[in-house]
Amino acid sequence: MDLLDLIDAAQSVADGLLFGSTYALLGIGFTLIFGVMHKINLSYAAASIGAAYGSLLLLSGFTAAPAVIVFMAAALCGGVIGALVYFIGFKFIPVANPLATLMSTVGLLLLIDEIIVHTTEGVPLAYPALYSDVVVRLGQFMLRGDLMFVFVLGCACMVLFLLLLYRTRLGIATRAVSQQPIASQLCGISILQVNVLTFVVTGMLGGIAGAMSGAAIGMLSPLLAQPLTVKGLIVTVIGGLGSIPGAIIAGLIVGALESLFQFLRGVTERDLYIMMLLFAFLVFRPGGIFAKAPGRD
Amino acid sequence: MLDVSELVTTYGKIEALKGVSLHVAGGKITCLLGPNGAGKTTLMMTIAGILRPRRGSIKLEGAELVGLSPAKIVSRGIALVPENRLVFPEMSVRENLLAGAYQRRDKSEIAADMERMYARFPQLKERREQLAGTLSGGEQQMLAVARALMSRPRVLLMDEPSLGLAPLIVAEIFDIVAALNRDGTTMLLVEQNAHMALKVAHQFFLMEQGRVTFQGTPGQLAEDEVIQRAYLGTRRAG
Ligand SMILES: Nc1ncnc2c1ncn2[C@@H]1O[C@H](COP(=O)(O)OP(=O)(O)O)[C@@H](O)[C@H]1O
Ligand SMILES: [Mg+2]
Repeated sequence: MDLLDLIDAAQSVADGLLFGSTYALLGIGFTLIFGVMHKINLSYAAASIGAAYGSLLLLSGFTAAPAVIVFMAAALCGGVIGALVYFIGFKFIPVANPLATLMSTVGLLLLIDEIIVHTTEGVPLAYPALYSDVVVRLGQFMLRGDLMFVFVLGCACMVLFLLLLYRTRLGIATRAVSQQPIASQLCGISILQVNVLTFVVTGMLGGIAGAMSGAAIGMLSPLLAQPLTVKGLIVTVIGGLGSIPGAIIAGLIVGALESLFQFLRGVTERDLYIMMLLFAFLVFRPGGIFAKAPGRD
Repeated sequence: MLDVSELVTTYGKIEALKGVSLHVAGGKITCLLGPNGAGKTTLMMTIAGILRPRRGSIKLEGAELVGLSPAKIVSRGIALVPENRLVFPEMSVRENLLAGAYQRRDKSEIAADMERMYARFPQLKERREQLAGTLSGGEQQMLAVARALMSRPRVLLMDEPSLGLAPLIVAEIFDIVAALNRDGTTMLLVEQNAHMALKVAHQFFLMEQGRVTFQGTPGQLAEDEVIQRAYLGTRRAG
């Protein structure tokens, strides 16, 4: 490999890192729902793409809605879909059986997929890319404006989300329910409220992540749901189930490596290496990046 | 103040409470003694609304609590310090206390109450930013009590606060119980440590196999008789 190849490789890592913020948001969503409910919501990534579609639908009457509006619409749709997913796929399903909600969310994943395919006839739709004409040059490097925008937006969402979780009354309630559900009820916290809130907030994050993928790729396709589900789950496992910092770091790592492997070995092989990374984690570090030492008591 | 009558709570087909009735007098310390498996924790969890009773009623100053959510019961003025403390391990001491005040909106009063807790439990003040899971057992128990007090309960329920603690710490816990009561808190205290419990109690109930089998004031029954029954249940023979 000569110098130019090295620069290209570094370039692909940088691109992947920027796009990885999408995975990080999805990872946060998967992991927070797991933290609060001890359940995996398999429909999450499909719902996120669904929310991005929803934003197109909401704004279809307007020509060229400004970027902020598109993303806000996606967040709104994501929140609504999140609440629906909770009430359809979780609320009335027996908690004791872990397989039950797994199946109900697989059902929702397929349902959302079908709705997208039927309303769009499976044809990909153009999604407004933002700042795609902007390119920042740093010596040999080029940073794509649209990816930078996605990255900055993703980081802003994460900061807002962490503030919500660690600096507000609702954040305390959410963490209380995830750490000690009985004691949280004894404190007067309503588990139902926290559950609904968790699905709405993660739904909004997912909607933004869906819109970010659309903006980075330049289009939306129902084919996005499946790879995003798989990547989101991989990020969640590598980050450590329930760990939010883990999900953020793992999202960026998976984004960067995916892009690097694509550069080195081509698009058809890249996911194979990500799977191998997952396998390595499952074998050598099953608790994820920030695996905790066993606690007291 | 708190009246429980004919309470029946089941786990599947097992009746853990078989018609329990008891009365907790306002401003007093009422102790509930009984051997392991008697149903004391089940009773506490039913009063707090975590478990739903099959039959019976629980009244706080005449108002029915059965059927209310745990959150509503907290807002009516009942707080439970649960068995095994159940602090939020990955939250700081301060956040645990804030969680205890979850139903309240009076920010300045909450802050004032936090200061009162820190004054009463100086160990907690030193460790206010430490994660609760890293506290010692005694400190966690103090935190669980302080957290429950943050809701400003009219009746404080405590389920075996001395469980697994060193004798010196147990004495400290009972000092706190007595002090809280002097400040006017009504208490229902579940204890295995009958000797200590009878020292602070104004009245006590004995529970065995899901039923109340004795009620009275300390001194009414010889202490070794109480201890015998509280630890071992009623003697079968003789
Ligand atoms: N979750 C549960 N499921 C089934 N049975 C239970 C459960 N919890 C307690 N029990 C049973 O109910 C009875 C009363 O238990 P408990 O209220 O914990 O007693 P205590 O607190 O007096 O030791 C015991 O026989 C116990 O085995
Ligand atoms: Mg018990």
